[in-house]
Amino acid sequence: MPTKSKKPSGPDLSALLEGLVEADIQFILVGGLAAVIQGAPITTMDVDIVHRQSPENISKLLGFLKSIGAFYRRLDHKVIEPNREDLEGKGHALFATRLGPLDVLAAIEEGKAYEDLLAHTIEIEFRGHRIRVLNLKSLVKYKKTSKDSKDKRRLPVLQETLRQLDET
Amino acid sequence: MSEKKKPKDLSDVDRGLVAMFLNMSIEERLRANDNAVRTILELRYAYKKQKTIRTGFKRSA
Repeated sequence: MPTKSKKPSGPDLSALLEGLVEADIQFILVGGLAAVIQGAPITTMDVDIVHRQSPENISKLLGFLKSIGAFYRRLDHKVIEPNREDLEGKGHALFATRLGPLDVLAAIEEGKAYEDLLAHTIEIEFRGHRIRVLNLKSLVKYKKTSKDSKDKRRLPVLQETLRQLDET
Repeated sequence: MSEKKKPKDLSDVDRGLVAMFLNMSIEERLRANDNAVRTILELRYAYKKQKTIRTGFKRSA
């Protein structure tokens, strides 16, 4: 019997990140990829961002999501396209896209939203663009309070990365 | 291969691996992650395919 599984075309998280900046979206990169960028030797399967919730920014984000064929990641595999209400809300919107999974978060631990996190970011140069990334110290701080078992497992690696960064 | 050293407080962390990643550029770190993700997905696909073939053999036997 032939297999029904489709060969994955392969995500490209770097391209996803590049697309977000090229679409002129204001966001802060958080989560695993933020840690990878700052030198933590971990692997992450998705891009996590906290977006600025201004009407203009949400319009840009919505346009970008549509351009990369985004739909909500759901257990029932129902295809539901992104909508403005969710991006304006307080929760997390988790999407599958052509370039890989993208988690759009209104806030992270302790309810910290875009404006709260800005002071704790670093700006990095990536493919000719500036990207705001939550600094490693804050990532460690918030991962400590996280209830996610994946976050707990990663914490020692992030702490060691921070320790070595502080040494240099 | 990097030598694993055991720090006092973080016994499970490969400090040499951390040092290696810190020596990479941002582009290199992102590329390493992308490559790792693609490899994981390819291996998962291969596993899934193999499992399906085996199941098929069992059924037809």
